[in-house]
Amino acid sequence: MENIENRLTKLALKGDQRAFAEIVELYKDKIYHLAYRMLNNRHEAEDVVQETFLRVYKNLDRYDQNQKFSTWIYRIGTNLCIDRLRKRKPTYSLDAEMNDQEGMDGYSMIPSDNRTPESETLISETQQIIYEAIESLPAKYKSVMVLRYLQDLSLQEISDVLGMPVTTIKTRVHRGREFLRKKLEPKL
Amino acid sequence: MDCKLAVSLMHDYLDDDLSKEQQLELKTHMLSCPDCRMQFKELEQTDMLMYSLTHHTPSASLELTERIMNSLPKQKKQQLWLTWVKRHPAITAAAIFVLVMLFSTVSFWDQDTQLVVKGSDLDQVVIEGNTVIVPEGKSIAGNLTVENGKTQIYGDVQGNLTVIDGSLYQASTAHISGQVKSIDQAMDWIWYKITNMFSDVAYR
Repeated sequence: MENIENRLTKLALKGDQRAFAEIVELYKDKIYHLAYRMLNNRHEAEDVVQETFLRVYKNLDRYDQNQKFSTWIYRIGTNLCIDRLRKRKPTYSLDAEMNDQEGMDGYSMIPSDNRTPESETLISETQQIIYEAIESLPAKYKSVMVLRYLQDLSLQEISDVLGMPVTTIKTRVHRGREFLRKKLEPKL
Repeated sequence: MDCKLAVSLMHDYLDDDLSKEQQLELKTHMLSCPDCRMQFKELEQTDMLMYSLTHHTPSASLELTERIMNSLPKQKKQQLWLTWVKRHPAITAAAIFVLVMLFSTVSFWDQDTQLVVKGSDLDQVVIEGNTVIVPEGKSIAGNLTVENGKTQIYGDVQGNLTVIDGSLYQASTAHISGQVKSIDQAMDWIWYKITNMFSDVAYR
Protein backbone atom coordinates (compact mmCIF):
# COMPACT_ATOMS: atom_id res chain seq x y z
CA MET A 1 0.00 0.00 0.00
CA GLU A 2 1.17 3.47 -0.78
CA ASN A 3 1.98 5.70 2.10
CA ILE A 4 0.13 8.93 2.70
CA GLU A 5 2.99 11.20 1.67
CA ASN A 6 3.30 9.58 -1.73
CA ARG A 7 -0.40 9.88 -2.36
CA LEU A 8 -0.40 13.51 -1.26
CA THR A 9 2.61 14.44 -3.37
CA LYS A 10 0.98 12.88 -6.44
CA LEU A 11 -2.18 14.88 -5.86
CA ALA A 12 -0.20 18.05 -5.20
CA LEU A 13 1.70 17.52 -8.44
CA LYS A 14 -1.59 17.50 -10.29
CA GLY A 15 -2.26 20.93 -8.83
CA ASP A 16 -4.33 19.96 -5.80
CA GLN A 17 -3.59 22.74 -3.31
CA ARG A 18 -5.43 21.00 -0.50
CA ALA A 19 -3.14 18.00 -0.77
CA PHE A 20 -0.14 20.25 -0.44
CA ALA A 21 -1.69 21.99 2.58
CA GLU A 22 -2.04 18.52 4.07
CA ILE A 23 1.68 17.89 3.57
CA VAL A 24 2.40 21.22 5.24
CA GLU A 25 0.23 20.23 8.20
CA LEU A 26 2.03 16.89 8.51
CA TYR A 27 5.52 18.33 8.55
CA LYS A 28 5.48 21.98 9.57
CA ASP A 29 5.92 21.30 13.29
CA LYS A 30 8.70 18.80 12.69
CA ILE A 31 10.61 21.20 10.48
CA TYR A 32 9.86 24.04 12.87
CA HIS A 33 11.29 22.10 15.82
CA LEU A 34 14.34 21.21 13.83
CA ALA A 35 14.91 24.80 12.75
CA TYR A 36 14.13 26.24 16.16
CA ARG A 37 16.68 24.04 17.86
CA MET A 38 19.25 24.60 15.14
CA LEU A 39 18.89 28.38 15.05
CA ASN A 40 17.45 29.15 18.49
CA ASN A 41 15.24 31.86 17.06
CA ARG A 42 11.51 31.78 16.38
CA HIS A 43 11.57 34.19 13.48
CA GLU A 44 14.34 32.48 11.62
CA ALA A 45 12.81 29.08 12.33
CA GLU A 46 9.52 30.12 10.73
CA ASP A 47 11.39 31.54 7.76
CA VAL A 48 13.17 28.24 7.32
CA VAL A 49 9.89 26.33 7.50
CA GLN A 50 8.40 28.57 4.85
CA GLU A 51 11.44 28.27 2.62
CA THR A 52 11.54 24.50 3.06
CA PHE A 53 7.96 24.09 1.86
CA LEU A 54 8.53 26.48 -0.99
CA ARG A 55 11.42 24.31 -2.17
CA VAL A 56 9.40 21.16 -1.70
CA TYR A 57 6.62 22.68 -3.79
CA LYS A 58 8.95 23.79 -6.57
CA ASN A 59 10.78 20.47 -6.74
CA LEU A 60 7.83 18.18 -6.25
CA ASP A 61 8.24 16.81 -9.76
CA ARG A 62 11.78 15.77 -8.91
CA TYR A 63 10.84 13.92 -5.74
CA ASP A 64 11.84 10.28 -5.98
CA GLN A 65 8.98 8.14 -4.69
CA ASN A 66 11.38 5.39 -3.66
CA GLN A 67 12.95 7.70 -1.14
CA LYS A 68 11.20 8.41 2.13
CA PHE A 69 9.43 11.75 1.99
CA SER A 70 10.59 12.59 5.52
CA THR A 71 14.23 12.03 4.55
CA TRP A 72 13.83 14.38 1.61
CA ILE A 73 12.14 17.18 3.52
CA TYR A 74 14.52 16.88 6.48
CA ARG A 75 17.43 17.18 4.09
CA ILE A 76 16.03 20.40 2.63
CA GLY A 77 15.29 21.80 6.09
CA THR A 78 18.64 20.82 7.57
CA ASN A 79 20.57 22.28 4.65
CA LEU A 80 18.70 25.56 4.95
CA CYS A 81 19.51 25.72 8.67
CA ILE A 82 23.18 24.91 8.11
CA ASP A 83 23.35 27.60 5.41
CA ARG A 84 21.94 30.13 7.84
CA LEU A 85 24.33 29.13 10.59
CA ARG A 86 27.21 29.51 8.17
CA LYS A 87 26.04 32.93 7.08
CA ARG A 88 25.88 34.08 10.69
CA LYS A 89 29.64 33.98 10.83
CA PRO A 90 31.39 36.20 11.62
CA THR A 91 29.37 36.67 14.76
CA TYR A 92 29.17 39.98 16.44
CA SER A 93 28.86 40.09 20.16
CA LEU A 94 25.46 41.29 21.28
CA ASP A 95 27.09 42.87 24.30
CA ALA A 96 29.32 45.09 22.26
CA GLU A 97 28.10 48.66 22.38
CA MET A 98 27.45 50.24 19.02
CA ASN A 99 29.52 53.20 18.03
CA ASP A 100 26.92 55.45 16.50
CA GLN A 101 24.17 55.18 19.06
CA GLU A 102 24.92 55.70 22.69
CA GLY A 103 23.64 53.15 25.11
CA MET A 104 22.51 50.83 22.30
CA ASP A 105 23.76 47.31 22.23
CA GLY A 106 22.95 44.31 20.10
CA TYR A 107 20.12 43.18 22.37
CA SER A 108 18.09 46.31 21.74
CA MET A 109 18.29 45.67 18.00
CA ILE A 110 16.62 42.28 18.28
CA PRO A 111 12.84 42.30 18.34
CA SER A 112 11.94 41.01 21.74
CA ASP A 113 11.05 37.40 21.61
CA ASN A 114 8.88 37.11 24.67
CA ARG A 115 7.08 33.96 23.65
CA THR A 116 10.06 31.68 24.12
CA PRO A 117 9.15 28.36 25.65
CA GLU A 118 11.51 29.26 28.43
CA SER A 119 9.06 31.90 29.57
CA GLU A 120 5.87 30.07 28.66
CA THR A 121 6.57 27.20 30.97
CA LEU A 122 8.75 27.35 33.97
CA ILE A 123 11.57 25.11 33.05
CA SER A 124 14.28 23.75 35.17
CA GLU A 125 17.75 25.12 35.28
CA THR A 126 19.00 21.86 33.84
CA GLN A 127 16.89 22.28 30.73
CA GLN A 128 18.09 25.84 30.39
CA ILE A 129 21.62 24.53 30.46
CA ILE A 130 20.87 21.89 27.87
CA TYR A 131 19.43 24.52 25.52
CA GLU A 132 22.56 26.55 25.90
CA ALA A 133 24.70 23.46 25.45
CA ILE A 134 22.93 22.59 22.18
CA GLU A 135 23.26 26.19 21.06
CA SER A 136 27.01 26.04 21.63
CA LEU A 137 27.46 22.82 19.63
CA PRO A 138 29.28 23.24 16.31
CA ALA A 139 26.83 23.02 13.38
CA LYS A 140 27.92 19.58 12.22
CA TYR A 141 27.19 18.09 15.64
CA LYS A 142 24.11 20.19 16.18
CA SER A 143 22.32 18.91 13.10
CA VAL A 144 23.07 15.30 14.00
CA MET A 145 21.97 15.70 17.62
CA VAL A 146 18.77 17.54 16.73
CA LEU A 147 17.82 14.92 14.15
CA ARG A 148 18.68 12.12 16.56
CA TYR A 149 16.84 13.39 19.62
CA LEU A 150 14.21 15.84 18.50
CA GLN A 151 13.13 14.07 15.37
CA ASP A 152 13.87 10.65 16.78
CA LEU A 153 15.58 9.49 13.61
CA SER A 154 17.71 6.36 13.52
CA LEU A 155 21.41 6.61 12.69
CA GLN A 156 20.65 5.16 9.25
CA GLU A 157 17.98 7.79 8.59
CA ILE A 158 20.29 10.60 9.68
CA SER A 159 22.93 9.25 7.34
CA ASP A 160 20.34 9.34 4.50
CA VAL A 161 19.32 12.89 5.35
CA LEU A 162 22.81 14.27 5.57
CA GLY A 163 24.27 12.07 2.85
CA MET A 164 27.09 10.83 5.06
CA PRO A 165 28.19 7.35 6.03
CA VAL A 166 26.58 5.85 9.13
CA THR A 167 29.96 5.54 10.82
CA THR A 168 30.46 9.31 10.59
CA ILE A 169 27.02 9.91 12.04
CA LYS A 170 27.78 7.50 14.84
CA THR A 171 31.02 9.28 15.73
CA ARG A 172 29.23 12.60 15.72
CA VAL A 173 26.46 11.37 17.97
CA HIS A 174 29.05 10.00 20.39
CA ARG A 175 31.08 13.18 20.42
CA GLY A 176 28.00 15.37 20.64
CA ARG A 177 26.67 13.37 23.54
CA GLU A 178 30.01 13.54 25.29
CA PHE A 179 30.10 17.30 24.72
CA LEU A 180 26.66 17.74 26.24
CA ARG A 181 27.48 15.49 29.15
CA LYS A 182 30.47 17.62 30.04
CA LYS A 183 28.35 20.76 29.92
CA LEU A 184 25.71 19.17 32.13
CA GLU A 185 28.11 17.39 34.44
CA PRO A 186 28.00 19.96 37.26
CA LYS A 187 24.19 19.76 37.31
CA LEU A 188 23.80 16.01 37.27
CA MET B 1 38.31 -4.07 29.40
CA ASP B 2 39.82 -0.62 29.53
CA CYS B 3 37.71 2.44 30.25
CA LYS B 4 38.08 3.91 26.76
CA LEU B 5 36.47 0.88 25.17
CA ALA B 6 33.84 0.88 27.90
CA VAL B 7 32.82 4.47 27.06
CA SER B 8 32.56 3.61 23.40
CA LEU B 9 30.31 0.66 24.31
CA MET B 10 28.19 2.94 26.49
CA HIS B 11 27.46 5.13 23.48
CA ASP B 12 26.64 2.10 21.38
CA TYR B 13 24.28 0.97 24.11
CA LEU B 14 22.52 4.34 24.06
CA ASP B 15 22.26 4.04 20.29
CA ASP B 16 20.55 0.64 20.73
CA ASP B 17 23.47 -0.86 18.91
CA LEU B 18 25.04 -3.27 21.40
CA SER B 19 24.73 -7.03 21.45
CA LYS B 20 23.63 -8.91 24.56
CA GLU B 21 27.12 -10.33 25.15
CA GLN B 22 28.73 -6.92 24.91
CA GLN B 23 26.12 -5.47 27.24
CA LEU B 24 27.13 -8.12 29.77
CA GLU B 25 30.81 -7.32 29.31
CA LEU B 26 30.12 -3.63 29.84
CA LYS B 27 28.06 -4.37 32.96
CA THR B 28 30.86 -6.49 34.41
CA HIS B 29 33.34 -3.71 33.77
CA MET B 30 31.15 -1.06 35.36
CA LEU B 31 30.60 -3.14 38.48
CA SER B 32 34.33 -2.97 39.09
CA CYS B 33 34.88 0.62 37.88
CA PRO B 34 33.12 3.46 39.78
CA ASP B 35 34.36 6.10 37.31
CA CYS B 36 32.71 4.38 34.38
CA ARG B 37 29.59 3.80 36.45
CA MET B 38 29.46 7.54 37.08
CA GLN B 39 30.03 8.41 33.45
CA PHE B 40 27.38 5.98 32.28
CA LYS B 41 24.87 7.53 34.66
CA GLU B 42 25.65 10.97 33.34
CA LEU B 43 25.40 9.88 29.73
CA GLU B 44 22.10 8.17 30.37
CA GLN B 45 20.72 11.31 32.00
CA THR B 46 21.98 13.48 29.16
CA ASP B 47 20.24 11.11 26.78
CA MET B 48 16.97 11.35 28.71
CA LEU B 49 17.16 15.12 28.96
CA MET B 50 17.71 15.38 25.24
CA TYR B 51 14.65 13.25 24.56
CA SER B 52 12.56 15.33 26.93
CA LEU B 53 13.36 18.39 24.82
CA THR B 54 10.68 17.37 22.36
CA HIS B 55 8.00 18.26 24.89
CA HIS B 56 9.47 21.66 25.57
CA THR B 57 9.91 22.85 22.04
CA PRO B 58 7.31 25.42 21.02
CA SER B 59 5.07 24.72 18.08
CA ALA B 60 4.96 26.93 15.04
CA SER B 61 2.43 29.72 14.97
CA LEU B 62 -1.04 28.70 13.90
CA GLU B 63 -1.23 30.86 10.83
CA LEU B 64 2.01 29.44 9.45
CA THR B 65 0.25 26.95 7.18
CA GLU B 66 -1.83 29.74 5.70
CA ARG B 67 1.24 31.89 5.22
CA ILE B 68 3.07 29.05 3.48
CA MET B 69 0.12 28.33 1.21
CA ASN B 70 -0.14 32.01 0.29
CA SER B 71 3.55 32.26 -0.47
CA LEU B 72 3.44 29.46 -3.04
CA PRO B 73 3.88 30.57 -6.64
CA LYS B 74 0.46 30.83 -8.26
CA GLN B 75 1.28 30.06 -11.89
CA LYS B 76 0.66 26.36 -11.57
CA LYS B 77 -1.18 26.46 -14.89
CA GLN B 78 1.72 28.01 -16.67
CA GLN B 79 4.04 25.52 -15.06
CA LEU B 80 2.02 22.65 -16.47
CA TRP B 81 2.21 24.28 -19.86
CA LEU B 82 5.96 24.69 -19.45
CA THR B 83 6.48 21.08 -18.49
CA TRP B 84 4.53 20.02 -21.57
CA VAL B 85 6.80 22.18 -23.72
CA LYS B 86 9.87 20.67 -22.07
CA ARG B 87 8.60 17.16 -22.75
CA HIS B 88 7.74 17.74 -26.41
CA PRO B 89 10.45 19.95 -27.89
CA ALA B 90 9.92 18.73 -31.47
CA ILE B 91 6.19 19.37 -31.51
CA THR B 92 6.75 22.75 -29.92
CA ALA B 93 9.32 23.72 -32.52
CA ALA B 94 7.01 22.58 -35.33
CA ALA B 95 4.09 24.48 -33.84
CA ILE B 96 6.14 27.65 -33.51
CA PHE B 97 7.36 27.28 -37.11
CA VAL B 98 3.81 26.90 -38.40
CA LEU B 99 2.72 29.85 -36.31
CA VAL B 100 5.49 32.08 -37.60
CA MET B 101 4.83 31.03 -41.21
CA LEU B 102 1.13 31.67 -40.80
CA PHE B 103 1.76 35.02 -39.23
CA SER B 104 4.14 36.14 -41.94
CA THR B 105 1.88 35.01 -44.80
CA VAL B 106 -1.10 36.71 -43.22
CA SER B 107 0.85 39.91 -42.83
CA PHE B 108 2.08 39.65 -46.44
CA TRP B 109 -1.45 39.01 -47.54
CA ASP B 110 -2.67 42.21 -45.91
CA GLN B 111 0.17 44.24 -47.34
CA ASP B 112 -0.46 43.33 -50.96
CA THR B 113 -3.27 45.63 -52.00
CA GLN B 114 -1.19 47.60 -54.47
CA LEU B 115 -1.09 46.76 -58.10
CA VAL B 116 2.02 44.80 -58.91
CA VAL B 117 3.07 43.90 -62.42
CA LYS B 118 5.98 41.60 -62.97
CA GLY B 119 7.31 40.44 -66.28
CA SER B 120 10.12 40.65 -68.77
CA ASP B 121 8.66 42.88 -71.46
CA LEU B 122 6.85 45.52 -69.46
CA ASP B 123 7.19 48.32 -72.00
CA GLN B 124 4.65 46.46 -74.16
CA VAL B 125 2.08 46.65 -71.39
CA VAL B 126 -0.36 49.51 -70.92
CA ILE B 127 -1.48 50.29 -67.39
CA GLU B 128 -4.62 52.35 -66.91
CA GLY B 129 -5.36 52.88 -63.27
CA ASN B 130 -6.08 49.42 -61.94
CA THR B 131 -6.13 47.73 -65.25
CA VAL B 132 -3.24 46.08 -67.03
CA ILE B 133 -3.71 45.81 -70.76
CA VAL B 134 -1.71 43.93 -73.34
CA PRO B 135 -2.91 45.69 -76.52
CA GLU B 136 -3.67 43.96 -79.73
CA GLY B 137 -0.65 43.34 -81.93
CA LYS B 138 1.80 43.63 -79.02
CA SER B 139 3.77 40.64 -77.86
CA ILE B 140 5.35 39.92 -74.50
CA ALA B 141 8.41 37.75 -74.79
CA GLY B 142 8.33 36.21 -71.31
CA ASN B 143 6.09 35.61 -68.33
CA LEU B 144 3.64 38.13 -66.96
CA THR B 145 2.39 38.33 -63.40
CA VAL B 146 -0.28 40.75 -62.23
CA GLU B 147 -1.27 41.17 -58.63
CA ASN B 148 -4.30 43.06 -57.35
CA GLY B 149 -5.50 44.30 -60.65
CA LYS B 150 -7.67 43.64 -63.71
CA THR B 151 -5.92 42.09 -66.65
CA GLN B 152 -7.08 42.40 -70.21
CA ILE B 153 -5.22 40.54 -72.89
CA TYR B 154 -5.67 41.49 -76.52
CA GLY B 155 -2.24 40.56 -77.77
CA ASP B 156 0.36 37.85 -77.35
CA VAL B 157 1.97 36.48 -74.19
CA GLN B 158 4.68 34.01 -74.99
CA GLY B 159 5.22 32.83 -71.44
CA ASN B 160 2.97 32.03 -68.47
CA LEU B 161 0.33 34.43 -67.28
CA THR B 162 -0.43 34.58 -63.58
CA VAL B 163 -3.22 36.70 -62.14
CA ILE B 164 -3.38 37.08 -58.39
CA ASP B 165 -6.40 38.59 -56.69
CA GLY B 166 -7.81 40.06 -59.79
CA SER B 167 -9.86 39.38 -62.87
CA LEU B 168 -8.67 38.21 -66.27
CA TYR B 169 -10.22 39.05 -69.58
CA GLN B 170 -8.95 37.36 -72.70
CA ALA B 171 -10.06 38.79 -76.01
CA SER B 172 -10.55 36.53 -78.99
CA THR B 173 -7.36 37.93 -80.45
CA ALA B 174 -5.38 36.99 -77.35
CA HIS B 175 -2.77 34.36 -77.53
CA ILE B 176 -1.03 32.97 -74.48
CA SER B 177 1.62 30.37 -75.13
CA GLY B 178 2.26 29.30 -71.51
CA GLN B 179 -0.03 28.43 -68.66
CA VAL B 180 -2.72 30.74 -67.38
CA LYS B 181 -3.10 30.80 -63.61
CA SER B 182 -5.69 32.70 -61.63
CA ILE B 183 -5.05 32.80 -57.92
CA ASP B 184 -7.74 34.18 -55.67
CA GLN B 185 -7.83 32.12 -52.55
CA ALA B 186 -5.41 32.27 -49.68
CA MET B 187 -4.38 28.64 -49.91
CA ASP B 188 -3.65 28.93 -53.62
CA TRP B 189 -1.74 32.07 -52.97
CA ILE B 190 0.36 30.42 -50.22
CA TRP B 191 1.06 27.50 -52.49
CA TYR B 192 2.11 29.86 -55.21
CA LYS B 193 4.41 31.71 -52.80
CA ILE B 194 6.01 28.51 -51.60
CA THR B 195 6.58 27.04 -55.06
CA ASN B 196 7.88 30.42 -56.16
CA MET B 197 10.30 30.46 -53.25
CA PHE B 198 11.60 27.02 -54.17
CA SER B 199 11.99 27.80 -57.80
CA ASP B 200 13.72 31.03 -56.87
CA VAL B 201 16.13 29.09 -54.72
CA ALA B 202 16.63 26.52 -57.44
CA TYR B 203 17.50 29.09 -60.09
CA ARG B 204 19.79 31.13 -57.95
